[in-house]
Amino acid sequence: MHELSIVKDIFSTLEEHYQTKINDIQKVQITAGLLSNVQPILIQNAFDAFIHDNEVYNDMDLEVVVNDIIAHCDNCDKDFKVEFHRFVCSCGTPSTNIVQGNELFISKVIFKQS
Amino acid sequence: MSNPKSLGNRVGSLECDNTTLHLLKANDFVAKAIRERLKDVCVINVCSSPGSGKTTLMQETGKRLASKLNMAVLVGDPETERDAIRMREAGVNALQIVTGGMCHIEAQMILQALDHINLEGVDVLFIENVGNLLCPSAFDLGEDYRVTLLATTEGDDKPKKYPRMFLTSELMLVSKSDLLPYVPFSVDAVTQDAREVNPNIEVQTISTLNGEGIDVWCEWIEEKVKLKKEKAALAE
Ligand SMILES: Nc1nc2c(ncn2[C@@H]2O[C@H](COP(=O)(O)OP(=O)(O)O)[C@@H](O)[C@H]2O)c(=O)[nH]1
Ligand SMILES: [Mg+2]
Ligand SMILES: [Zn+2]
Repeated sequence: MHELSIVKDIFSTLEEHYQTKINDIQKVQITAGLLSNVQPILIQNAFDAFIHDNEVYNDMDLEVVVNDIIAHCDNCDKDFKVEFHRFVCSCGTPSTNIVQGNELFISKVIFKQS
Repeated sequence: MSNPKSLGNRVGSLECDNTTLHLLKANDFVAKAIRERLKDVCVINVCSSPGSGKTTLMQETGKRLASKLNMAVLVGDPETERDAIRMREAGVNALQIVTGGMCHIEAQMILQALDHINLEGVDVLFIENVGNLLCPSAFDLGEDYRVTLLATTEGDDKPKKYPRMFLTSELMLVSKSDLLPYVPFSVDAVTQDAREVNPNIEVQTISTLNGEGIDVWCEWIEEKVKLKKEKAALAE
């Protein structure tokens, strides 16, 4: 699995964006769509292993928010939630137009009190 | 894509930054570079679980298309060179990408491999991905088409278990069709399952053992190569 590469990417992205301020981060939240194949528990484990090996980040917390899969139905012109991996609207029209579910991003960063 | 720059706002005494910093975006950037570079080569990313018949299919395809098309294969394997050796024995221009235990190929590995394989006159480049239906689905390799093999021995309930793979594939090849009389597997059921994930997915059944479906598969490749060349000619 590639959880560790995702965790490394979280840190390199934070370093690039916040530079030295990264040391003040208390908690980082990532949002993962159900289709991103990210398992919150596996990411959490990889994250814990990473901060254990990188002392400066010892106190940092991670939160993983999982997004449902939402597709757009052209027939009804509205979005519907994909359940049980059935990419078919309640009206019977199938759709591959995924509006939510593939994403994987850092959605929130909370800094320590200064 | 939304602007990744965001301003911090203070919530109580905590400073909180609501942001959108996309992860794994480096891969998409490299995939784009591959597309730029392979403007007139049709690139096909072949995925499946371990043992579904990818390497055997590449060998057979190489033999069948030898007189018609010039093909090359980049093959990913966590540890060994075995598959590339098998393909070269079958006369296929193949290069192994040893992923060092990794569960998928990333675009960067393909870009580097392009410098080590002779693509002079090559019409179609196959990428045999690492055997895994999960992780490779998230990594664009700059391919034109993604083809997923599902062997009749694997069970006909797989598409919904690995939706992103089937969602991102243009073609599902039901492989080892010679075993259909011996295994509880319904081509109709698997087709329905796959189409509920991806209504546009094409389905073909194929056996490298008795040759069923190989002609249809080879015609599909020839058609896609033709489309790619027409597109490249238009862009010039
Ligand atoms: N019965 C049957 N066996 C096959 C077929 N294609 C491949 N195999 C066998 O399946 C095993 C795995 O094949 P291989 O090509 O190495 O799969 P890969 O791991 O996906 O590259 C080998 O023992 C092949 O001989 C087929 O069409 N029918
Ligand atoms: Mg193989
Ligand atoms: Zn509808």
